[in-house]
Amino acid sequence: MKKIILLFTAFVSITFAQSKDPDLILKNVIQEFSTVKDYVADIKIKVDVKVLKVPETRAKIYFKQPDKIHIESEGFAMIPRKGLDFSPSSLLKDKYSAFYQKEDFVDGIKTAVVKVIPLEDNSNIILSTLWIDQTKNVIRKIESTTKTNGTFTIILSYNSSNKFPLPDSMTFQFDMSRVDLVPNEFNDRIEKKNNKKTLAGLVGKVYITYSNYIVNKGISDSIFEEKK
Amino acid sequence: MIGLINIELYKIFRKWRTYIGFIAIAVLVSVIQVAMLVEGQRSINFMTHNLQQSFILVGNLLNGYLVSHLILNTLVIHIPFLITLVAGDLLAGEATSGTYRMLITRPVSRISIVTSKFLAGIIYTCMIIFFLAIFSLGLGLSIFGSGDLLVVQNGTIIVFSKNDVLWRFLLAYCFSSLGMGVVASLAFLFSSLVENAIGPIISTMAIIIIFIIISGINIEIFRAIKPYLFTNYMNGWRLFFDDPIDIKEIVKDSLILLGHIFLFFGSAALIFQKKDILS
Repeated sequence: MKKIILLFTAFVSITFAQSKDPDLILKNVIQEFSTVKDYVADIKIKVDVKVLKVPETRAKIYFKQPDKIHIESEGFAMIPRKGLDFSPSSLLKDKYSAFYQKEDFVDGIKTAVVKVIPLEDNSNIILSTLWIDQTKNVIRKIESTTKTNGTFTIILSYNSSNKFPLPDSMTFQFDMSRVDLVPNEFNDRIEKKNNKKTLAGLVGKVYITYSNYIVNKGISDSIFEEKK
Repeated sequence: MIGLINIELYKIFRKWRTYIGFIAIAVLVSVIQVAMLVEGQRSINFMTHNLQQSFILVGNLLNGYLVSHLILNTLVIHIPFLITLVAGDLLAGEATSGTYRMLITRPVSRISIVTSKFLAGIIYTCMIIFFLAIFSLGLGLSIFGSGDLLVVQNGTIIVFSKNDVLWRFLLAYCFSSLGMGVVASLAFLFSSLVENAIGPIISTMAIIIIFIIISGINIEIFRAIKPYLFTNYMNGWRLFFDDPIDIKEIVKDSLILLGHIFLFFGSAALIFQKKDILS
């Protein structure tokens, strides 16, 4: 009898842990991230973009649920708008429709691939694909296709020693031919056209490394208001 | 020679017109700094408009270095006029005031006279640029503070760390002095040809304006002429705000500008040597 109960428990836990229900997978991810009420971390930013030459910079990032973010830096820092807020609740805050696609591996880790289609008309994202690590309930990779800026990819890696679902590094990749970084006024029409040709197929990358996390120690709201 | 140069510098700084350059730079720099204080953030937002669509920008981009870089960009249009005011008067001024004959009756060779006058003109040019550097950077850093410098160069946005900027400015100002040296030499050459300073000032400015316009028009025939126009190399200071710095190009531009200085001064010296002084 004990054996039957044990087998049943194991079967149920495996079924729930490795669920194919996309909504449940996403709910688990959101639930896991909700253990983080706030955090402060040091970040190191390295930009590898053909038309941008920026020195490696360091900054401090402050996060508070649900989506408050503040960045402090002594020097100039450039952080990708899309990749900065990797909080699942923020990524999935609007209405969406999700479906499970398949199992896949990211950096040798088994993930569930879930497609998310935003249902809001004003959403710039057409389709997002999330690679979700169901053992830790964290997102390992995001690939989003936008209406205006092509496709961007976010790859997140996690340190096993961190008990919170917070990444220790993030790589943000985007299609350079679809993003205008240099103001039009600085490039004449011919040069701009040529630039588009030379940038076609090139991928811009921004690497962010996180360290010295201070989690759930409380952050005053004034830090986030100060920016405004 | 040093004594002669001192005399020439004394003559230069005794004239009121010499100070026009310094006053004009002080006014120009102050006006730009005040304008940037009022409108600077909007300009930065305009420059980084596209960038801000994809990235969050943190840090003080509106700083003394950015404003000084902006001011240095206006150099090629405004400063030559201030240089020619003095350089065009160096030889022609003697003719106008009727002191040419008295000058060359002194026991000094003509070549020493012309060289000392030319070097005094070059010293004045360097002083103008030095004043621009001190005033622009000093005022800019005291008003806006220090910070990283954002530059848009050949379709690329480059951000220099604040610790990596000052030496670039120093070398850029030195290079600008070389470019303005060509303007002074050209005005000096014209000054050796006539007996009134107005002619050299207007002729030099006319040549610079024509060359700048030709360089700016993107037509095949003008593109072929462009490498032969000295104004094309006067903006070489911008190469110091590139990453990596193209040393080969800087050396080439410097040599071309130096070549022009020697050519214009050599011609002026030759004309002065053979000049029949009648006034």
